[in-house]
Amino acid sequence: MTIKERGYAHWDGELQDGRFPWWPITRIGIRLTFKRKFFKFFFGFTLIPALVWLVGIYVSERLEDFKFMMEGETDFLNVNPLYFKTYFTNDFLLFMVVMILVFCGAGLIADDLRHNALQLYFARPLKKRDYLTGKAAVIFFFLFIVTLIPGIVFILFKLIFAGNFQFFASYPWLILSVIAYSVLITTFFAFYTLLLSSIGKNRRYVSILIFGVYIFSDIFSAIFKEIFRSHYFYLLSIKSNLQQVGAVLFDQRTPWNIPWYYSLTVIIAICLFSAYILKQRVRGVEIIK
Amino acid sequence: MTAIIQTQNLSKWYGNVLGLSDVTLEIEQGITGILGPNGAGKSTFLKLITGQIKSNIGSVTIMGQPVWNNYPQFSEIGFCPEQDSFYGEMTGWQFLTSLLRLYHLSSTEIEKKADKALEIVELSEDKNRAVRSYSRGMRQRLKVAQSIAHDPKIIILDEPLNGLDPLGRRKIIRLIKEYKGEGRTIVVSSHVLPEIEAMTNQIILIHQGKIFAQGDIHYIRDLIETHPHIISIRCSDPRQLAQKFIHHDFVLKVNFGLKKGVLLVETNSRDKFFGLLPSLFVENQIEVEEITSPDDNLQAVFDYLIGK
Amino acid sequence: MSVEIQQIHFSYGKIKALNGIDIRLPQGAIGLLGPNGAGKSTLLRILLGFLVPDSGEGSVLGYDIRSQQAMIRRYVGYMPEDDCFIPGMDAVSFTSYMGELSGMPRQEAMKRSHEVLYYVGLEESRYRMLETYSAGMRQRLKLAQSIVHDPKLIFLDEPTSGLDPQGRKEILELIMDISSKKDIQVLISSHILPDIEQTCSYVVILNKGEMAAEGQISELKQVQYSLYELKIKGEEQAFLDRLASMDSQVEQTEDKLLKVYLSPGTDPQDIFKIAVEEKVQIRHFVKSQTSLEDLFAKVVGVD
Repeated sequence: MTIKERGYAHWDGELQDGRFPWWPITRIGIRLTFKRKFFKFFFGFTLIPALVWLVGIYVSERLEDFKFMMEGETDFLNVNPLYFKTYFTNDFLLFMVVMILVFCGAGLIADDLRHNALQLYFARPLKKRDYLTGKAAVIFFFLFIVTLIPGIVFILFKLIFAGNFQFFASYPWLILSVIAYSVLITTFFAFYTLLLSSIGKNRRYVSILIFGVYIFSDIFSAIFKEIFRSHYFYLLSIKSNLQQVGAVLFDQRTPWNIPWYYSLTVIIAICLFSAYILKQRVRGVEIIK
Repeated sequence: MTAIIQTQNLSKWYGNVLGLSDVTLEIEQGITGILGPNGAGKSTFLKLITGQIKSNIGSVTIMGQPVWNNYPQFSEIGFCPEQDSFYGEMTGWQFLTSLLRLYHLSSTEIEKKADKALEIVELSEDKNRAVRSYSRGMRQRLKVAQSIAHDPKIIILDEPLNGLDPLGRRKIIRLIKEYKGEGRTIVVSSHVLPEIEAMTNQIILIHQGKIFAQGDIHYIRDLIETHPHIISIRCSDPRQLAQKFIHHDFVLKVNFGLKKGVLLVETNSRDKFFGLLPSLFVENQIEVEEITSPDDNLQAVFDYLIGK
Repeated sequence: MSVEIQQIHFSYGKIKALNGIDIRLPQGAIGLLGPNGAGKSTLLRILLGFLVPDSGEGSVLGYDIRSQQAMIRRYVGYMPEDDCFIPGMDAVSFTSYMGELSGMPRQEAMKRSHEVLYYVGLEESRYRMLETYSAGMRQRLKLAQSIVHDPKLIFLDEPTSGLDPQGRKEILELIMDISSKKDIQVLISSHILPDIEQTCSYVVILNKGEMAAEGQISELKQVQYSLYELKIKGEEQAFLDRLASMDSQVEQTEDKLLKVYLSPGTDPQDIFKIAVEEKVQIRHFVKSQTSLEDLFAKVVGVD
């Protein structure tokens, strides 16, 4: 016979080193994002291009059946690296990616700063690196769903619809391109979002920044380019830089007449700058006032 | 003594939220402590008696004059709000002088009074720093400074000790007692009951927008009949003493405390009990170490009247 | 020994924050006191492993404060002073999230978080969003997250700030209950001395980066001379005259408290004999002690 007396009771378990101490942060981040109003609807909307491209792949294998619908040009249905590049670098997809960042990324650090939650995290066996990894992983999760996953699905379905490995034999490097590009764009946006999220304390303000910096960098680069008639001003635009590097990764002509590694340098520079600022903003020491 | 602050059927509601309901009372010279749970109506009451908001029903008079819209009288009242409300860019000095300027004083007088107030709260060294850079305790002291700077006769302090360290608390409590000695009227609220007790015995207990009790703490305690008085005695032989008690009908309960030598007695007549006590000690040669009344204090009054 | 440090020095640039602190804490609840800027926060930062001392050695729960900071943070609970929570979560998922971050398995954390929320009295609102919590509830929530992983050492920073008398009493009762467990040490830093007096048996008082006083509260409060505080009812004057005839000095404070300094060699029980003879009731009889506030003021060098 045992009784449970009132009062504080111990927990009989052992605290352990998790293999991924950051994983709970990621899980909660994803769950909180899905709980936001309109997010599910919005996220579904983002997957529409992927569906359209998938249908395109199907049609490309059954061109004969769909002849009656096609008039003239069918080149765009030719599934080749250009087809992939078009999916990955089109303005709409990048725009939707930024919108997803607004939903899932704006509050990642800003909310913690605003509600003094950093001290709750860092009073636990958690390193700064774990914290940032956990937060970044939330962005990786959502962006991989709209980049890496569709890319791999396209290749698989192309093989399935075709019923042979000819496509794979023609472009064996394509899967590497998909992975490389997805990682690049996701890493960049993870740094970009975490940076902006760590400089504001207000989620709304950060949302505007995430959206605004992306859009205005594009607008300003276009204006300067018109004034000075130099393609180099495209380096100011986040979108153009990503498209430039994307084109190279898929072995296509770059959209602008400037060396692609300039764009890559800009992207890496932004990432490094973000890492530096994040290190300054997310500090354990100051949690006890 | 005549009442300094008088309220008549004072009631205030915000939309359909009750702030204060039918409060009639008089506050006399000296220190009066105001207490009650969060949301009880303390702040509403303090704002009403300082003329910051208008009551829906009832009136407030201070020294016989109505408070609402009585601008000349505002210079007799100092108020320290619970919330921080500063212009962060201003220095402590600028903040004080700009408030003092509202009282139509000459500029030399303003400077003199601001200096004096800052000295009282020990902010003189930091007076030229922006308020934004002040610590929580410094802000609190600045708030107190602005409430006393114009030398008011009536000082209303809403949680003035919040965020202060023990030395800061001690100083402000001393200051308040000094002001009492100068014949001013001070109304002070706090959530820390021992601090109220350190300042005054006169309290107003507000709960659910009503006055639950007003007056001297010990007098209020005596009025609460539902809870018999508990008396704790620490002595050499508590069990022998207990035997003597059980023959008397005014002793309701005898307990032995957890600490060694402690006897807890409940009685419904303190007079009879204490009348008997010394002779019991002397007759039975019991050595007394301590006699206290653990429930004759503000915490007990609060618990019995408001606690769950 | 839960906390043991020797000769800890620390400075922020040129500003010296801690200047040779030695602490060996006994069991039970400990009060950490000091005026603003005394170095309390710096000490807490070092004990929690956020700062490495410039010089000096020490261990918390047997783990070295210089090299095993992660282990220290695993087995301590920390209740911050600031209002803090994560928006968009309910209390159960928040508390179990915090448990997981400390290294609890997910299912266990969930079970345990229900338990601790019951314990701190949030059982009815544990599924509510944290944004809707009142100040008192958030304070309880902070306590819940600090004990969810069953720490061996709990740091509480101003645990009663912003609470009304009822809430303050309840939180203090919880703290006393936790610290009554022999295998949990509680360290409370607070500006509200009555709270410390109620919950702690031992205090450490810092001032200007140095130890100003340390010891059992009851011992620190003892006074050497024979001073008694009395409240009486009845024929006051006759009683006072008799006391004076015994060579004792009597002072009366404004709230009717008699302070009786007995001359050396006088038996305090004689007071009761006089009371019987003069038919006076003695309603309060206590051997006088220094108050914690006076003690504090004295050791930090203010009158």
